[in-house]
Amino acid sequence: MSYKAKKCGVRFEPPAIILVYEQEEGKHRQRIMPIRNFSKFSDCSRAAEQLKNNPRHRQYLEGVSLEQLVRFYRLLKAHLNGESLDVSLNTIRREETIDPDEDLNKLDDRELAKRKSIMNELFEKNRKKKDDPDFEYNVEVDFPQDGVVESCGWDDELEDGF
Amino acid sequence: MAGDEQGVTEVDQQKYDADENVKIICLGDSAVGKSKLMERFLMDGFRPQRLSTFALTLYKYTTTVDDKTVLVDFWDTAGQERFQSMHASYYHKAHACIMVFDVQRKVTYKNMSTWYHELREYRPEIPCIVVANKIDADRRATQKGFNFAKKHTLPFYFVSAADGTNVVKLFTDAIKLAVSYKQNSRDFLDEVMRELENFELEKPEDTSDKEEISEGTESPKTV
Repeated sequence: MSYKAKKCGVRFEPPAIILVYEQEEGKHRQRIMPIRNFSKFSDCSRAAEQLKNNPRHRQYLEGVSLEQLVRFYRLLKAHLNGESLDVSLNTIRREETIDPDEDLNKLDDRELAKRKSIMNELFEKNRKKKDDPDFEYNVEVDFPQDGVVESCGWDDELEDGF
Repeated sequence: MAGDEQGVTEVDQQKYDADENVKIICLGDSAVGKSKLMERFLMDGFRPQRLSTFALTLYKYTTTVDDKTVLVDFWDTAGQERFQSMHASYYHKAHACIMVFDVQRKVTYKNMSTWYHELREYRPEIPCIVVANKIDADRRATQKGFNFAKKHTLPFYFVSAADGTNVVKLFTDAIKLAVSYKQNSRDFLDEVMRELENFELEKPEDTSDKEEISEGTESPKTV
């Protein structure tokens, strides 16, 4: 049986993850998965993994990424800590974007791995896999540089470099 | 990390003097996609040899250039770039360099100056290709001018390890450049190295490394 996830969200009171899914074409159903034993001290990644692997829920959650579930638990945890939704959404957003000026050479393993996993989400999204019907091993595209008028804007500071 | 420095020199680099062997190094900041580019080029054929104590990953690849078999070793940094500098043996005997930055992160473009400077200290003459990666994330980048390559008269490629744009072209061109550099090298340091090695003719040749090479990867095929 396949369940196509359409929408997924979190409810704070009483706490639950709610999934809207499609079982047969055009027919939407809602599944409410109550969150139990979760406190403001709980580990969000572990909770998300447990839900995703829960034998009763896992086939429904196949189309929902672990990252998204972790995000829901983080929102809930922030709520339990009395944080407003706006603030916690902003925190998550900030943590999940890459600061283009940050020098990643200077981070430790853990922090670097975090940034890499954020970048990897986009990589996987844009990735053409070998099994894709339109996959080509050799993709050549010519980007002529002679007619370029707009500069990348990064060169000026390079001038005094090497 | 002092222990590691000893270790790097243990990687046998004698074989890079043999006609059919070339060494191509990758340079660039953390997370610009160096390994992802390697993996996209080699596809299923990739069998990296991780020398984690040396912060180094080796990818072996076999191909033909002008009807001659070429055994390519690609050297990837495996985190060594985080010491802001590579060990001298990383550059030793390299025949070409692929230098990568991320079109979404200015700092990786700016840091190329440092990488390029270090490269030229050790290898003043080898061909170096400048690579703008991750154009899938920002297509507009391909319409912009990046002057670094022009300033140093280096070839420049827009690529994407995710969707494959220009990846195969980049690596096949790098191999051709490495081979032609090796054949026509007038590199002063190379000449000196050759002269020095002639003094050691009595030394028995160690061929063990060649067996290891022969199980190198097949050319990936288009599916």
